[in-house]
Amino acid sequence: MDTPQLIPQLTPQLQFSEDYCIGRFNAMASPCEVLMDTQDPVLAGQLAGIAQREALRVEHKLSRYRQDNIIHKINHAQGAAVKVDEETAQMLDYAAQCYALSDGRFDITSGVLREAWTFDGSDRIPAPARIKKILSRIGWHKVHWRPPKIRMPKDMQIDLGGIGKEYSVDHTVLLLREAAAISCLVNFGGDIATTGPRRNGNGWIIGIETPDASPATLNANTKVYELQHGGLATSGDARRYLLKDGVRYSHILDPRTGWPVQGAPRSVTVIAGTCTEAGIMATLAMLHGDQAEAFLDQQGVKYWTIRA
Amino acid sequence: MQLKKSLHAKKTTPVKKPLQGKKPLHVKKPKSISGALATATCALLGTHLPHPAAASEPFKNWEYDSALLYYSEQDRVTAVEPVISARNDMGNDQFLNFKFVVDALSGASANGAVPADKTQTFSGPSGQKSYSVAPNETPLDPTFEDTRFAANVLWEKPTSRYLKALLGANFSTETDYTSLGVSATFTYDANNKNTTLSAGASFSHDTVSPIGGAPDPFTEVPTSSTSGGENEGDDDGEGGEGEGGETKNVTDLLFGVTQVLSRHTLTQFNYSIGQSSGYLTDPYKLLTVVDPVTGDLVPAVDPNNTYRYLHERRPDSRTRQSVYWKTNHQFTDDVVYLTYRYYWDDWDVKSHTVDLRYRYELGRHHYLQPHARYYQQTAANFYRYYLVDGEPLPQYASADYRLGDMTTTTFGLLYGAELGKNSEFTFRAEYMKQSNQGYPADAIGKLRDYNLSPDVKAIILQASYNVKF
Amino acid sequence: MPRIYLALFLALLPLVVLTQACSLERVKPWERDLLAEKKMQLDPHPLESGLDEHIYFSKEASSGGAGVGGGGCGCN
Repeated sequence: MDTPQLIPQLTPQLQFSEDYCIGRFNAMASPCEVLMDTQDPVLAGQLAGIAQREALRVEHKLSRYRQDNIIHKINHAQGAAVKVDEETAQMLDYAAQCYALSDGRFDITSGVLREAWTFDGSDRIPAPARIKKILSRIGWHKVHWRPPKIRMPKDMQIDLGGIGKEYSVDHTVLLLREAAAISCLVNFGGDIATTGPRRNGNGWIIGIETPDASPATLNANTKVYELQHGGLATSGDARRYLLKDGVRYSHILDPRTGWPVQGAPRSVTVIAGTCTEAGIMATLAMLHGDQAEAFLDQQGVKYWTIRA
Repeated sequence: MQLKKSLHAKKTTPVKKPLQGKKPLHVKKPKSISGALATATCALLGTHLPHPAAASEPFKNWEYDSALLYYSEQDRVTAVEPVISARNDMGNDQFLNFKFVVDALSGASANGAVPADKTQTFSGPSGQKSYSVAPNETPLDPTFEDTRFAANVLWEKPTSRYLKALLGANFSTETDYTSLGVSATFTYDANNKNTTLSAGASFSHDTVSPIGGAPDPFTEVPTSSTSGGENEGDDDGEGGEGEGGETKNVTDLLFGVTQVLSRHTLTQFNYSIGQSSGYLTDPYKLLTVVDPVTGDLVPAVDPNNTYRYLHERRPDSRTRQSVYWKTNHQFTDDVVYLTYRYYWDDWDVKSHTVDLRYRYELGRHHYLQPHARYYQQTAANFYRYYLVDGEPLPQYASADYRLGDMTTTTFGLLYGAELGKNSEFTFRAEYMKQSNQGYPADAIGKLRDYNLSPDVKAIILQASYNVKF
Repeated sequence: MPRIYLALFLALLPLVVLTQACSLERVKPWERDLLAEKKMQLDPHPLESGLDEHIYFSKEASSGGAGVGGGGCGCN
């Protein structure tokens, strides 16, 4: 297991509210927080520390910007087989199952499309020939995954960022459950899961922000949900798009075509048994474009979609 | 649109080729993968199947609410009322609610006549069964028996981030009455969801088909089966279907504000205005015609009848208004609910209603909720205890005690148990007493000695069970 | 007549309360934990209130106030 070498701030900030405590820190390029159903500062500090260490550990392990982790090793193997650790193997297994279950919509090799697409609100639509060329380097079926060894063509790349944050939320929940018998809510940049109901039998109240919430409208556009069990995740970001000739290109790319999905909602929020499931469901719903709601209805999950 | 299409076609055509032979891009129907995904996630996290937030069972996202009410008046009406309601969470904050009520009534109800020192005989509404009332007793019609079925569907749908629509339809039927109605309420969230404005409208079209036909107002009431039908509007004597029945239209409008005052307090204020028009008379209620000096019964005009009683007559329109205020406040755990309503209409009925409930938490998800309700109304301007022989007939008259000066007090206690987070059981017992002005100062002769409108006492028992899947 | 004044006072009271409310600190979405509880809903027991409304509709001359729709009845 990798150990983070540099931890910017080891102690999370603690804040006490009326009947619970919040621990805050930054990880995975997002503000993270843990809400704990306790007012014991020692216990709260310990639990928030567990969450912070776990978030930083997963970030370190899965970041595609680092050169000392397993992702870098796989992506720079130049066609050679790489033996992976057990946790990475489980994540690759999971990614493979999601690829199969989604008929190729969820594909951890699709990250190379970023070479052509930059969703900065501009009108820079890539040339079809360029997309076509990149498409030949995409497709999980081209990867030889024989646990614990992975081998893939040298110009391909994998990125577990699509499940990493949700995974670390669920994993943190497991660690917190082991550490103490109090209810906690883990929120890593909007990906959320809870260890269970609070002392008073209630769930945690979650404000679900709409995608275009600016600081001025942040509160006005908030939906409220009481989470007792399981997890919640949101997919979609209204600020990431391209606009050309009156056509809005969402940042949701279909790895099978290399082009943005047509008719996707601006955001999808899903409640499921775990944050990881919720995250995958939300992502897959986006990839179903105008069929997003039909897809979610079929899955029997609680969800909210926002369309412009 | 055209531009969009051409762009789409141009850009996507070349990349479709490598996909040929694979599954089509536009899948007809999304398949359910939630089960497989849950299993895969368990493997990933090394856990057992986690607690499902939404289980994919046939009854998923349904909430059922059921209740059985027993209502019994001392010496009068008894009602048994089962209710079942089912609410489906359709996702995206959409809900569909179905409700069915059965209301089985039997027993005696006041027919409007005053007590007398003689035996009084009346024919029942069907003209078949007649009943006698002993001297000095309040005349009650014991033949009353009916079963009402009501169905209600309500669709709750957010139409935007702030606006929500509640659309409803309802239908009810009983032997002599059918009601068909629709309603729409819109709510608008403002002020960071701390304020909700609502506006609602409902319309119902009711058909009254009195047994034996709708009697003509102020005609003499037949007092025995042999005289039955002579003064009736409908001569076939059987059932209420003849001549289609009378109709009544009811329109209601409501404007409301709900305000969150603090983390612990919520308040609501509504103004309602409603209009009823058509047949508003009670076909089974009558008025005694008394002697202007002695207060005695007077002989009937029709030789087949014993004494003179007339069918009542009410105006054919009524405009109702009310202001309604409700506040919920939560203490540490306990909650107090206070409601006040002021009601007034153009029949000159004015009323105050105060309703207070206090939810006292016993701990461990059990609670007791005492309830007190006080209601006080003034009489409708055409309410009379009786008509006086020889005096000209008023334009309208009714001796229905429910239109008289009245006070209702109710005391009750509810016990509730939350059995787990998704189900709740409650039981309540209440005692209701309606006190009327039974000894009017201007009563004539012997009528001074009688309570012309005795108290009505009732008990209410109710058990209910709520479960969410 | 004093009854009328009482009614006016009681009818205006909520308006006063609402006006006051504007100066109160707004309740933030994450402070809605108590308001989200079933017992703090405007109508925590809808079946019970439906049955009560039906009883009082059939025994008293006044009706309505809390909402619209519900269905007619030959009982009054």
